[in-house]
Amino acid sequence: MNDAIEKLQRLFEADLATVTDMETWKSVRDKYLARESGMITGELKRLRDLPKEERPAFGQAMNQVRAMVEERLQERFATVKKSELSARQRPIDVTRPGFPFALGSAHPIKKLQAEIEDIFVSMGFQILSLPEIETDYYNFEALNMPRNHPARDAQDTFYFDDTMLLRTHCTSVDVHAMEAMKPPIRAVSIGKVYRRDPFDATHSPMFHQVDVVVIEEGLHMGHMKGMLEVFLQRLFSPDTRTRLRPGFFPFVEPGAEVDISCIFCSGAGCPKCKQSGWIEILGAGMIHPKVLRMSGIDDSRFSGFAWGMGIDRVPILKYGVDDIRLFFENDLRFLKQF
Amino acid sequence: MKISIEWLKEYVDVRESPEKLKEDLSMIGLLVEAISESNGSPVLEVEVTSNRPDCLNYVGIARELSALYKRPLKNPLIQEKLTASPDRIPYRIEIRDADLCPRYVGLVMDGIRVEPSPQWMQKRLEAAGMRPLNNIVDISNYVLLEMGHPLHTFDFDVLRQGKIVVARAKQGEKMRTLDGTDRDLDGEMLLINDGEGPVAIAGVMGGLNSEISQSTKRVLIESAYFQPASVRRTSRKLGLSTEASYRFERGADWDNTVPALARTCYLIEKLAGGRIAGGLQDVYPKKIAPVRIALHQDHVTSLLGMPLTGDFIESTLRGLGFQLEKRGPNAWDVTCPTCRADMELEADLIEELACFYGYQNIPAILPPSQTAGTHSSAYLLENTIRNILIGQGYSEALNLSFASEADHREFPPLEGDRVAIKNPLTEDTQYMRTTLAPGLVRSAKRNVNFDQRLIRLFEIGKVYGPKADGVPGERHALGILGAGGFAGQNWTNPSPDYGFFHLRGLIEALMHGLRIRSFNIKPTTAVSWLNPRDAATLEIGDDCIGLLGSLSPALEDKYKLKQPVCLAEINFERLAKYAFSPVTYESLPKYPSVERDMSIVVSRDTVYHAIHDGIAGLKIPELTGIELIDVYEGEKIPSGNVSLTLRLTFQDREKTLTVDRVQDFVDTVLAFLNKSYGAGLRSL
Repeated sequence: MNDAIEKLQRLFEADLATVTDMETWKSVRDKYLARESGMITGELKRLRDLPKEERPAFGQAMNQVRAMVEERLQERFATVKKSELSARQRPIDVTRPGFPFALGSAHPIKKLQAEIEDIFVSMGFQILSLPEIETDYYNFEALNMPRNHPARDAQDTFYFDDTMLLRTHCTSVDVHAMEAMKPPIRAVSIGKVYRRDPFDATHSPMFHQVDVVVIEEGLHMGHMKGMLEVFLQRLFSPDTRTRLRPGFFPFVEPGAEVDISCIFCSGAGCPKCKQSGWIEILGAGMIHPKVLRMSGIDDSRFSGFAWGMGIDRVPILKYGVDDIRLFFENDLRFLKQF
Repeated sequence: MKISIEWLKEYVDVRESPEKLKEDLSMIGLLVEAISESNGSPVLEVEVTSNRPDCLNYVGIARELSALYKRPLKNPLIQEKLTASPDRIPYRIEIRDADLCPRYVGLVMDGIRVEPSPQWMQKRLEAAGMRPLNNIVDISNYVLLEMGHPLHTFDFDVLRQGKIVVARAKQGEKMRTLDGTDRDLDGEMLLINDGEGPVAIAGVMGGLNSEISQSTKRVLIESAYFQPASVRRTSRKLGLSTEASYRFERGADWDNTVPALARTCYLIEKLAGGRIAGGLQDVYPKKIAPVRIALHQDHVTSLLGMPLTGDFIESTLRGLGFQLEKRGPNAWDVTCPTCRADMELEADLIEELACFYGYQNIPAILPPSQTAGTHSSAYLLENTIRNILIGQGYSEALNLSFASEADHREFPPLEGDRVAIKNPLTEDTQYMRTTLAPGLVRSAKRNVNFDQRLIRLFEIGKVYGPKADGVPGERHALGILGAGGFAGQNWTNPSPDYGFFHLRGLIEALMHGLRIRSFNIKPTTAVSWLNPRDAATLEIGDDCIGLLGSLSPALEDKYKLKQPVCLAEINFERLAKYAFSPVTYESLPKYPSVERDMSIVVSRDTVYHAIHDGIAGLKIPELTGIELIDVYEGEKIPSGNVSLTLRLTFQDREKTLTVDRVQDFVDTVLAFLNKSYGAGLRSL
């Protein structure tokens, strides 16, 4: 009997020596202690077959063996666990690059368009979706630019036929808003406009504008200045100053050219603003009484103002993009920078 | 308009530096674009807007400065006496179209010596960008610059009947202008005739036949007022814009005709030896009344948002040549100077006052808010799409809206026709685009050329075509393009190529993000620019809302794209109809779900869509998910077959599922697949 026990002990020690990780530890444990198939549990099952007088001694011996095995396994468990934990904590080279999750980018002009929409919505404006293909009436006539008006010269137009054209500005919003809405009106149109300019570094036959129209009772130029200031400060920076100069647009009177303090030198004067401290940014004015009347607004009761701004110029100014064509070539090396 | 400060000083006392003048003029609406120099004197380059023809000359600019600085305006010296003694040369002026020529003033001088004009005059003309010719022509140009009124001098001896007839041209009439070009005239154009034929196109350019030459001894000086729209029309029609037409079409001053002529007469006497031989004839059949406007102080206040004093109003307007007559305590009747073509309404006067008061001095204030802001109808959809696609690695493209003939041949519109631009810039831009695909493909090509390996683009923009009534129309579209490695080659990833299922996966994600729960992607053969291998339509119910697939091999080769390109185009408005279905919340299940994978073998012809929908059609309430997790074709299964591994997910919301119940469900599914598609379980 002792021989058998000793043999079992030797065998166990040999097996235990092969344990390197949790898996081999478990297999050794199961080999000796599994409820059904374990060698020790198997030996204990033989107890029944032994003569009655041998049973206590065998039982006692086997229980001792079992206790020893359990203890030895427990010790081993601690070391295996320790080495396994340390293996799981072995450092990797965290300086290698991460998985390249690709992130796209919004087009700088479209992004700006969305920002501008947000600014106007916050100021109580309704953003209208208006067609790019317009009639001569909405684009010119109703804006006090009848055929043969000299101001049309500056806006060389793409025509489809005698009446249909590609809008040359978003200012048609003035007329559409007056026709479709009742004062108080605060409306904005934003999007593509077209002029028959050759495609080169500083011109594009397609570009983007935002036009704004406000028609309410008792509106005056001070209101226009106030709203312009807020808009331009939100668009550029809170310390942006604005300056109005007289300007001419057939659909407004008085008309104004609006400058902002130079975004590069804050007005001190630099090459970007030709040392003037100011950058011309948009055209504005109180809506011409004729334009109000043509669209059925009672100009004795309501007055309004409007302004229009080229959007493409903003990223050109802000980021120094030196060729307008880059906006329409979709070079990913360009787009990914925004 | 180039204004030399040295010359300007003849008309108003200017002590300010050029920089100060630039600033001051800009603040009253005369933008000085630059300060240059000519003959040692600074020159202001003034941009005069089209409503202010009165400022297209020295006296006009001086008038503004005199009002601004409150200094007297000095008018040029003129010949006061415009009669001849004796009246030696009879001539006649006849206006046959008083609408197009309301006033024509003439004068004949003899004893002319044609020679170069004096140096000082030549220098001034050169500074203004004009080429000196001879004293007579130079004098009329000089007076044009000085006083703004275009004049014309005819060689009187060339006028065949010694008379001037102002009349419309005969249809088909021709004449050769001073620049040596033969001009075809039409019946709308106003001509100056000598009784036998044309000698000038009124307000635009003189005829070569009546040009001043070295031998000219007698001249007829014309100082007329022509209707702006008529001059503009003629100038445009002939493609001929001159200093004269530029001013007439913006509006000359009919009352400046005689003073300008008197000035010319003065200069010709001094510089060319001329004497008046035929006295002034002023033919003025249609008197034009000066514009009168009622001005109310209250209206000034309400338009500017602040009051201006009566004194300020009166002194400013008078300084600019307006005449004011008091009408009650706070109102005036204002008579506008005839040079001010821009004066029509009270608002025009108020602008003038605001300019001189200073826009910068009007206090800024926000108007009270009476409206709530709303985004455009497309904003939510467009921004949601943009955010999803950017998050998935796609960058937003923006192409010009034009298309070429080749674009239309290669990417013909699926529905409808195209619209053509009547006056395109180039042949490549003669149509409006009917699809976003060619622009995206060209953008991909550009990126391939610059060695970009991971090309992901999308564009949200309009496409165009005739509406049902034939009128050009437009609609929004979403275009998506993918090419190159799927995730970019790197040390953990061998980079599979972008393919149809990447694009399809993206569209599925997009539909999920837009809460469009039910849609189908079906093969199609209707799109010539897609590869028939994977060309597909995106459908919701019976509505086809878009297309997807890879670019046809022929176009791939033509654009030399080096790698497969997949693209999709979705009709934005149709998509909008289905997007953002209401959120339907379901409480989370309390019991665990069970997954069962099964590999079935079916014929290659069996489309997955049919299997998926067939299983879903069994309507087993506990079956909550069907996924395709593996596809195998190869030697382990009979040829012509494909093995699909499906993962079915079961979930009972009321209790834990037992193994037996799950097996029952699986058996039901297998029985269905076997019956419908002859599918069997793949033996491993």
